[in-house]
Amino acid sequence: MKIRNYIQVKTVEAFHEAAKAADGPITILAGGTDVLVNGREDDVYKDCTVIDIFPVEALHGVCETENMLLIGACTTHEAISHDPLVKQYAPILAEACGAVGSLQTRNRATIGGNLANASPAADTMSALAVLHAELVIERDGEARVEPMTAIFTKPYKTNLAQNDLITTIRVPKQSPNVRYDYVKVGRRKVLSISRMTVATLLEMDNNGVVTRFDMTVGATFPRPMLFPDISAMLVGKRPSEQDIIGVAKALSDKIPEIAGIRKSTIYKQPVCRNISERSLRKLFADILK
Amino acid sequence: MSNIKLSFILNRKPYTVETDPGKRMLDVLREDLGLMGTKEGCGVGECGACTVILNGKAVTSCLVLAGQMQDAEILTIEGMRDDEIGRVIQECFVEGDAVQCGFCTPGFIMSAYALLMENPTPTRDEIRHAIAGNLCRCTGYIPITNAIEKAAKTLAK
Repeated sequence: MKIRNYIQVKTVEAFHEAAKAADGPITILAGGTDVLVNGREDDVYKDCTVIDIFPVEALHGVCETENMLLIGACTTHEAISHDPLVKQYAPILAEACGAVGSLQTRNRATIGGNLANASPAADTMSALAVLHAELVIERDGEARVEPMTAIFTKPYKTNLAQNDLITTIRVPKQSPNVRYDYVKVGRRKVLSISRMTVATLLEMDNNGVVTRFDMTVGATFPRPMLFPDISAMLVGKRPSEQDIIGVAKALSDKIPEIAGIRKSTIYKQPVCRNISERSLRKLFADILK
Repeated sequence: MSNIKLSFILNRKPYTVETDPGKRMLDVLREDLGLMGTKEGCGVGECGACTVILNGKAVTSCLVLAGQMQDAEILTIEGMRDDEIGRVIQECFVEGDAVQCGFCTPGFIMSAYALLMENPTPTRDEIRHAIAGNLCRCTGYIPITNAIEKAAKTLAK
């Protein structure tokens, strides 16, 4: 891979210094599993200073505050999928991270890199969306917090400036009562790019009335999305079979509405409807009896 | 760009090479160091033929930049002959006909090694999970799974 310069940094401060000092475009290297694939084509990084942030210890690992999980941007998908805090407080994210690529890819690929790469097919996007995850982004040492869904402009594009560094993914801790389901559709179980993911997160009161509901589809829209109108279909209700059919139809109808009618629509729309129905029946099994 | 000096531990021995940090680790192993056991299949992390162990984890060396080898501990198929686990896995692959054309074999052995280092008594499902990132187009996966299972049992004796 042709590059202009390679700098390895060990602290976030050193990253900011290197980014400021760089003459020309920079490419941030986290796990490298996307950069090295992109770098095979057309010398795309030949003018870039590659700043390798993988050795920055402060960007690795998961810790907690009272209400949040704080996931370092360089934490690998494999580490997240086995992390006890993530498994306890955001199990849908552990599951989504475990669905990424192969073990070899998960051992290297990072959650921050995956977000910055902005592939609409990224396995974790739908899970992070329904979790209402936020990103801590640093520029020249100044930190800001943005909703995860807000940084994406179109496939493979974000609104991040080249010296913006995602440092932390903030994930609200979920109570044990939260129910979730994550489904990935790929050509094979492992080493497959998502054709679709469906992520659902919901909570009910003691009477089976839904108090919170988020359901979205990944690898289908140009960027990760949440749908307040879909959420409103179940919140405040004790769901019936008809409600489930209605939600699944409304969610699958978003596909042509947002992504337009593409060659894959004839396949994706019924698959989305069927998976959504199946997920909701599973999640409401005790209510539907 | 100009070469930089990279120092790392490879197969338990210290190495220093001067190379282009924009190369892939796979190319440093094969071209700079002449270690041809690590194979290039797809070059995009989808076949597992170039699997090595980097700081204790199985990774595809086609997706690691040479610069990222700095200060790392790396194990390749060439290091397996001097390691009991590696040697037993290789013997079980040979005895169990888990090798046909052999191109994918180094990658499978490195994935098996990473598994047995972490989990000396894996179930068949755990073995299948550990090698799911490695593709074989000749033997099918049953002899390979059998060989890893046998290696685990042999090592446990």
